[in-house]
Amino acid sequence: MGEFEVHRVRFFGLVPAGVRCLACHPRGDRLALARTDGAVEVYNFAANYFQEKVIPGHEARSVESLCWAAGDRLFGAGLSGDITEYDLSGLSAARGVDGGGGPIWSMVANSTGTELAIGCEDGSVKIFQVIPGGIQFERNLDRRKGRVLCLSWHPSGTHIVAGSIDFFRVIDVTSGQTVQRIMVNHQVEKAKRECVVWAIALLSSGTVVSADSFGRVQFWDWEQGTLAESHTVSTSATLSLAVSEKEDSIVVGTSTGATYQLQLLPVKLGGVEKRWVRTKPFQFHSHDVRAVAHSPTALISGGLDAQLVIRPLMEKVQKKGYDAVLRKFTFPHRRLVSCARKARLLLFQFSQYLELWRLGSTEETGKDGEVLPLCRMPEHLVQLKSKGPEHIYCSCVSPCGTWVGYSTASRFHLYRVHCDGDSVSLRKV
Amino acid sequence: YLICASGDFVKVYSVNTEETLRLMGGHADLVTGIQLNPHNHMQLYSSSLDGTIKLWDFMDGIPIKTFTVGSKLLALYALASAEDSVFVVIPKKGERDTFQLASVKLTKGAGQDLESKELSVVLDGVGASVKHIAFGREGAYVASVKGVTLQVYFFKRKLLNRFSLSTIKTKGGDNRFSCVVCHPAEDCIATGHADGKIRLWRNFHNKKEYTYSTLHWHHDIVMDLAFSVEGTRLLSGGVESVLVQWHNESSCQKDFLPRLGSPIEFISMSSDGALSCTLHTDNRITIINSNLRFSRSIQGLIKSRDVKTGLVVDPRTKALVLNGEPGHLQFYSLQSDQQLFSLDIVQRQYIHEAGLKQSDLVKVAFSAQGTWLATVEESEEVADPELQLKLWFYHEEAQSFVLNTRINTPHDNHITDMCFRDMDELGDDSLILVTTGRDCVFKVWVMVEDTDPEAQQSVSWTCDFVGSYHNYQATNCCFSEDGSLLAVSFEETVTVWDSLTWDLKCTFCHPPGNIRKICFGRLTCSKYLIGATDYGFLCCWNLLTCALEWSAHLNVVVLQPDPLSEHIAAVSWLSKESSLFVFKPNEPRPVYIQRNLCKEKVLLAAFVPRDEPEMMSSEKYLWLRKSQLFFLTDTQELMTLSTKSLEERLTPSSKQLAVEESLPVTPFSLLLGKHRRQQAQEDADLGKPVVHSKQEKASPAVKELLHTPAHVLPSASFLCTIFINSLLISKENKSAEEVADEVEMESEKAEDDSDEEDVTAMEQEDTSHMELLGEMTCKLSKSQEKELRKIRKMDYSWISAF
Repeated sequence: MGEFEVHRVRFFGLVPAGVRCLACHPRGDRLALARTDGAVEVYNFAANYFQEKVIPGHEARSVESLCWAAGDRLFGAGLSGDITEYDLSGLSAARGVDGGGGPIWSMVANSTGTELAIGCEDGSVKIFQVIPGGIQFERNLDRRKGRVLCLSWHPSGTHIVAGSIDFFRVIDVTSGQTVQRIMVNHQVEKAKRECVVWAIALLSSGTVVSADSFGRVQFWDWEQGTLAESHTVSTSATLSLAVSEKEDSIVVGTSTGATYQLQLLPVKLGGVEKRWVRTKPFQFHSHDVRAVAHSPTALISGGLDAQLVIRPLMEKVQKKGYDAVLRKFTFPHRRLVSCARKARLLLFQFSQYLELWRLGSTEETGKDGEVLPLCRMPEHLVQLKSKGPEHIYCSCVSPCGTWVGYSTASRFHLYRVHCDGDSVSLRKV
Repeated sequence: YLICASGDFVKVYSVNTEETLRLMGGHADLVTGIQLNPHNHMQLYSSSLDGTIKLWDFMDGIPIKTFTVGSKLLALYALASAEDSVFVVIPKKGERDTFQLASVKLTKGAGQDLESKELSVVLDGVGASVKHIAFGREGAYVASVKGVTLQVYFFKRKLLNRFSLSTIKTKGGDNRFSCVVCHPAEDCIATGHADGKIRLWRNFHNKKEYTYSTLHWHHDIVMDLAFSVEGTRLLSGGVESVLVQWHNESSCQKDFLPRLGSPIEFISMSSDGALSCTLHTDNRITIINSNLRFSRSIQGLIKSRDVKTGLVVDPRTKALVLNGEPGHLQFYSLQSDQQLFSLDIVQRQYIHEAGLKQSDLVKVAFSAQGTWLATVEESEEVADPELQLKLWFYHEEAQSFVLNTRINTPHDNHITDMCFRDMDELGDDSLILVTTGRDCVFKVWVMVEDTDPEAQQSVSWTCDFVGSYHNYQATNCCFSEDGSLLAVSFEETVTVWDSLTWDLKCTFCHPPGNIRKICFGRLTCSKYLIGATDYGFLCCWNLLTCALEWSAHLNVVVLQPDPLSEHIAAVSWLSKESSLFVFKPNEPRPVYIQRNLCKEKVLLAAFVPRDEPEMMSSEKYLWLRKSQLFFLTDTQELMTLSTKSLEERLTPSSKQLAVEESLPVTPFSLLLGKHRRQQAQEDADLGKPVVHSKQEKASPAVKELLHTPAHVLPSASFLCTIFINSLLISKENKSAEEVADEVEMESEKAEDDSDEEDVTAMEQEDTSHMELLGEMTCKLSKSQEKELRKIRKMDYSWISAF
């Protein structure tokens, strides 16, 4: 082995964007993830949770909700009020259709993937039909005051539940009428705080599961409008909820960073009566868990601390292997740092700008593990802001350190770097 | 009723009055488990280390049956679903420290003593404690914990599931199980762990898809758990002495009952769910109602960590006084086996934490009349103890001791002994307190009048004299009976001082060895001074001649004079057994010798005066005529010498020979009996005084009526006249209205009575006919009710005819 100088690069101040939402492919082999900066990532479960695709973010586009529809098509909707389809082969946002109801807080596809429902700021729920090559507005459902924060289709596609502040309602899709409106905060009258229904799910049995800002997960009978069970899982808000395909397990994310699993278990051996029981708590995140997903074999959670955690369910994994290991995706999977070997330069890529640094140097030598005194401190040479609203997709610096290039989803930029002593200048090519 | 296993006995307490109603003895060894008979709630099974299971009628305290199993029984479980068998934990043959759960078939037979050796092993490798095994809903499965493994065995499917937790102690976690309970209605097992976690296991039919949720509040080991009757609430307790109630198995909703005094050892729930009780390590049972409020406590002798004060008898109440809760002095009544009261001496908050230095009470002395109490407390630091001498005056109105004087640092080092001058006839002025310390002096404290007009009390205590001898450490002090002489031992030497002038009169010495105990003789022997030395000598000096009268080779650990006679008891400790010698100082031959008193080392002894002198049949026990001798051993068991040993030996039910265990401190398990029945009785009691006299007269006929089974009764119309006649005799001369009222009242009363007597009748019958009998009594009471209604109608018609 040769001798190496190891640089401790402590000046790459990358702030990764938090995970905003997750969408599991209905067939369960892909996971789409949207970050708070609008970037969308696709992971492939079959290929060892490999980060297959990254679609860089856009300044004007924030993604609040993602869903898979009509096979492998991925749609996203956000506070800009647009529904965007992503071109997964071209890695870009393809077409945008205005939802027409202000910012979109939630979007879900029905079980067949033919229709999309969006919940808007103005309290409307709109249905869009997925047609080849785009989506088409179909109709408006009953509009009530209060932003629609979460939506869920009944697996048969006949009803939709829409959660908003202090209440949720069940809407008949065919008639478009609200058939049930249930207040969720009637038990905590004295608190007089608003109770935000952050996540909701409609099970095939007709049970509505709601997660609210009081930390409760509640099970309602939507026909009677009665509360069946209430589990206070956390003292802070529950933000996200996901149901397994068999509807026997629910994962809940809270604002303390803890996730909980609730399971539908028989009360007695061989008995018919079953009950939801809060079973396992997990504390993987340091901040809000904004998104959870439930794959057949694992609980997936993503938080504002930018981590994606895949916790396999031991009892569902048949053999020990890669699938049975807890995974945490903390680091970005892409190359964000490029190095100009000769010029001793480092180029750091942020979402909207680049930074060029010169490495520090030393004249002394020492033994293994010794810290050498620097004769020249690392130096920040230049910050290059990208033009336009699009985020940087990739970047590179040439080995000699004179060329810097970066690209966005639509354009490519190349710069020439002049270094004379202390002054550094850039020239666009 | 609350039933509790206590040593060799089973005790029945009343939940309402805290009284010990019954003491059921008969086991020859420690009672390890008690269970209500699931088929008859008036009966109780108890198991013992002597290898027998006894079936009791705890209402009357009668043993019904004894089943001899053979091997040691460490725990007992009775199931409603298992008809005629119970489950016991027995040690595995040939292996030490391995235990197995076995079911015992209880043979049916007519006799009282039965053999039941039919054992079938259910589970291997179980824990020895009662808390390590629990039976699930309707006896469908049994859960057992040991180490980090949970075993669940399903009886029907004959399936054994094992679940293990990791043994690695991460982040202060410790997964070892401490206790297990099963949900009464659902398939749910709750386990307590050494790190304070409670896990709720579900879906444990499935080896793979089992799941559990965790509740965590306790910071240290969870000692016991209990589910409520419906299973909606879970109670847990541990060393924090806080009872935690969890609602609906959720970790957010919990209630606390703090400050229970000492660590919780066992938790038990009454069968109707109205009450729960906790058993504490200091030998106390706390009864708690369903809304988690402290209801009452059954307090025996408090087991404190270390009895430093010695056994002292309060002259006023004749109660035994010793260390109780940390910093408290307990007054324990020997007659009623109850704590009279607890006096807070240190008056500081006790914080439970290992290694924390606490102040504790070390010495106690009473004046002869019991009006003054002197206490010494010190912190646990060895080098520089923080000493306080407190003098308490008995306040007649408040009926308790009131602090009079507090003296900080009375001595520079530990106080070794303390005594009052016992002079009954001379009044308060002659009261003198002497303390001896390791700082080589003894100090004499006297009462002085307070001159300060602003002082709230008229007298206070101050130091009068400081004496020392050759700079030796003072170890013991003792006043002679008339109070004229004070003996203080300084290491190897005993010095005798005149208590008026504080002159050194003479010294005695018996080298080698330090003086361990000294005491003066009493009554006719008051001219003698007795001393015991470290090197195993008991010496008796004559004070008149100042010479050694006699000495004996005896390793005396306890020397205790009887205040009412000239006898002195000495307990020696030699090669793992204690022996008792009782002697009079004027003759070197002991009056009484009891070798092999007990296996444990006797630490303390006290003579407690009897209320009235007992007539002794044998010459041997003459010395016990006026007072009774009590010992405290190092396992904190209080024992006494019984004089009735001869009679007791004749009855087969009691095995106790000369030593009768009065209060063992290790109650093993407890359960709460039927509360409902108690209330029914109480209702009946309330009604009783009103119509007492009449009822007695009417009762023979009523009784006859009620004791006859329904199917042999003649028709109701026939009985009616007899019944009414029986009621009418007593009140011929009363006015019509009065009679009507009273008859009505009486009929109600009779209804009450009938209920009560049904039950008693039921009890007396053989248990095997229980179900049949239950039906019968049901019919009986119905028919009675009809009758009584008829009577009422009849009565009115009769009155109108008048």
